[in-house]
Amino acid sequence: MMPVDNALRLALLIAFLHAVRTPLAGADGSSIDKVYHPYVEQLEWELEWRATHADRDPLSSVKRLQQHRLGLGRAISEYVFVEAYLIGTQSADDSLELEAYEVEVLWQLSEQGEYAVDYGLLFELEKEHGEDIWEASSALLLEKELGRFSVTANLGLTYEGGDDIVNEWETALAMQARYRYSPRFEPALEFYAGEDTLGAGPVIGGREKLGGLQALTWQLGVVLGMDEDTADYTVRALLEYEF
Amino acid sequence: MSVLRLFTACLLLMPLAAQAKAPVIEIEIRNHLFQPEEVLIPAHTKVKLVVYNRDKTPEEFESYELNREKVIMGGRKANIFIGPLEPGVYPFFGEFNPKTAQGRVVAQ
Repeated sequence: MMPVDNALRLALLIAFLHAVRTPLAGADGSSIDKVYHPYVEQLEWELEWRATHADRDPLSSVKRLQQHRLGLGRAISEYVFVEAYLIGTQSADDSLELEAYEVEVLWQLSEQGEYAVDYGLLFELEKEHGEDIWEASSALLLEKELGRFSVTANLGLTYEGGDDIVNEWETALAMQARYRYSPRFEPALEFYAGEDTLGAGPVIGGREKLGGLQALTWQLGVVLGMDEDTADYTVRALLEYEF
Repeated sequence: MSVLRLFTACLLLMPLAAQAKAPVIEIEIRNHLFQPEEVLIPAHTKVKLVVYNRDKTPEEFESYELNREKVIMGGRKANIFIGPLEPGVYPFFGEFNPKTAQGRVVAQ
C-alpha cells in the first residue's frame, strides 16, 4: 500500500470519528458491547453469553445497569454466520427482565490476509419486547494484521423506528488493538464512540480448545468513560462455547 | 450530513485494490495427512496456499502462529493467504485429526 493511501485512510478515519460524535437526533444508550471480527468459521455452532455492567448511566441516572445477551449462532456457509439473541436488562432498582430480541448476520467478504485489510459486513435487526421499537443496524468490519498485533474496527450505522420511539439514525465506532501473546491469553485495548458513548479501556481474553470443533472463548474488560454522557466505568464480559 | 459522511468514510476505508499476485503453493490433505508436511516459502513475501482436501471428511487448517483457521470440506479446496513472514518455522495442524495432520511453514 502506498503511503498516500495510508494518509488518506487516516484522514478519513478522523473524519469518521468526528461524524460519530456529531449528534444526529435525540440518541439513546451506550454502544459499549464487543468488537466483531470479519471472519466466519464454517460448520461452527456457537452458544454465547455477554454482559455489560455500568456503574451509573449519566443520562438516566440508573445505577448498576446491566445488559445480558444470550445467543445461539451457526455458520450457514463458508462466509455467512447467523445468530439470534435474547437481551435482558437489570439495575439496582429492577430485577432481570427480557428487553429485546435480535437476529444478526455476519458476512465475511474477503479471505484473511488476501488484501491489505480484511473486511466483512454485519447486519442486525432488534425488536424491543412489548413495545413497537425496531432497530436495524449495519456495520463495516475491518481488520488488519500487523505482526503479532491485530487491529479491528467496526463502523456502524443504525436506524431506530416504530410507534414508541422517535425515528432516528445513529452511528457508532468500536476499535480494538489486540496482541496475540498466546491462544490462552490475549491482552487488548478497546475504544468505543457513539451518540452517547466515548470510552476506552483494557480487555483480556483467551481461548481454550476442548477437542474437535469445541472451544471456550472468554473476554473481560473495563471501558472507562471519557465524557459526561458515558458511565465512569463499564465492565464487559463474554463467554462463548463453540461446537 | 453525518450519515453521508459515515457512508463516504466506510466506502473509502475499504481495501482499495487487490495486492500484487502472491506466489501460489499447493498442499493436499490425504488420509488425514498434509502433503507435503513442510512448506518452504520466501520470507517477507505474501503467499497463497491452495489446500486440496482429498479426503471425504472435512478438515480444518489451523495455526495460531500464522493466525489462520480455515475449514476445508471433503473433496473441496480452500485458499489461505499467509505472510509476509519473518524467517522462521510456523507449525500448522488439522484440528479434526491433530495427531496425524501436522505440518509446518518454513519461511527463509
